[in-house]
Amino acid sequence: MAQFTLPKNSQIGEGKTWPAPEGAKNVQVFRIYRWNPDDGLNPRIDTYHVDRDDCGPMVLDALIWIKNKVDATLVFRRSCREGICGSCAMNMEGQNSLACTMGIDECKSPDNAVPFLNRKDKDGAIRIYPLPHMPVIKDLVPDLTNFYAQHAAIEPWLQTETPAPEKEWRQTPEDRTKLDGLYECILCACCTTSCPSYWWNGDKFLGPAALLQAYRWLIDSRDENTGERLDALHDPFRLYRCHTIMNCANACPKSLNPAKAIAEIKKMMVERAV
Amino acid sequence: MAETKSASIRTPRARVKGLGASGHGAEHFWIQRLTGAANLLLMIAFVVIVAKMWGRPYPEAVALVAQPIVAIILLLTVVSATIHMRLGMQVIIEDYVHGTGLKFAALTANTFYAVAVAAACLYAIIRVGLGGLV
Repeated sequence: MAQFTLPKNSQIGEGKTWPAPEGAKNVQVFRIYRWNPDDGLNPRIDTYHVDRDDCGPMVLDALIWIKNKVDATLVFRRSCREGICGSCAMNMEGQNSLACTMGIDECKSPDNAVPFLNRKDKDGAIRIYPLPHMPVIKDLVPDLTNFYAQHAAIEPWLQTETPAPEKEWRQTPEDRTKLDGLYECILCACCTTSCPSYWWNGDKFLGPAALLQAYRWLIDSRDENTGERLDALHDPFRLYRCHTIMNCANACPKSLNPAKAIAEIKKMMVERAV
Repeated sequence: MAETKSASIRTPRARVKGLGASGHGAEHFWIQRLTGAANLLLMIAFVVIVAKMWGRPYPEAVALVAQPIVAIILLLTVVSATIHMRLGMQVIIEDYVHGTGLKFAALTANTFYAVAVAAACLYAIIRVGLGGLV
């Protein structure tokens, strides 16, 4: 059966509380998931007090501030700090997003609250966890091996049988427009890890990110393997585990709509069968 | 968010490719939508038929079902609803039941149940429709 509760070795305990720096007046509390594969202990939640007068406005700024000034052992991925590399994807106050483009105030805003999940603490703490339902490597770093393998499985490159032209493969501006809203994906995994269908069947369901990319190549007028691509997706699990839950579209920090792309693939499947 | 070490040393690519695409799914998807749309219309007719029976004595209710148009609507409703029910439940089982044995048992029971419900309803409507209960 699908596993709805955490196994014993994953149940989260209370961790260490790091005090606010002396003289800090504008303090924001963060509760952050910590897990170290080397100490054999269960995960814990550490509490940090961040001096906002000494820190940038984004959640990633706060994490870097903590790592630099409070606890150098806190582990997270980050690179571009401007929403294009997808490295700092994590779960903040119940919402998957990029820490670099999620403002601390925005994260606390009631508009950002996950419905039916009032997780706000009395001290206004912001809770930060790794992306849901992925194996954790350490702290906020999830193991995305399966996610990347699924992306590779849809063969995200131009496939043609016609001999390559002397210059580029040509495409009308109208056909090029069809790729808008698809090519912008940065593979941060916010959508895929927010999808309940992926949680229960992530071994076989390709997930929203891989399927969005699959559609990006299906709809590309230059590609000559559309039928073979559809054949590879024609499966109750690879494609049809999507039940249009729409968490993917809500989670996407680039405002893309994987659910719509998946619906378009399903339409293509019916179109060639009926 | 537990540490999950794979019991297999197969490559991630091999694990994702698994047994390959089954080549099924489009028909299941299409028929589920088709029966869903059919159910919308048939259920309206079904509710009207049941409402018309309201407060009437048994022989009149039987006579209503025995009318050809009513009997045909009820037959279509049973066929469409039980196909839709079976397909929908199949999706739920595939979503949540992962043990191979339990999954096959549940899928088999689901089909048997849908066929049994359909057979019982069809038998009843045909019997009434052909005047067997008057």
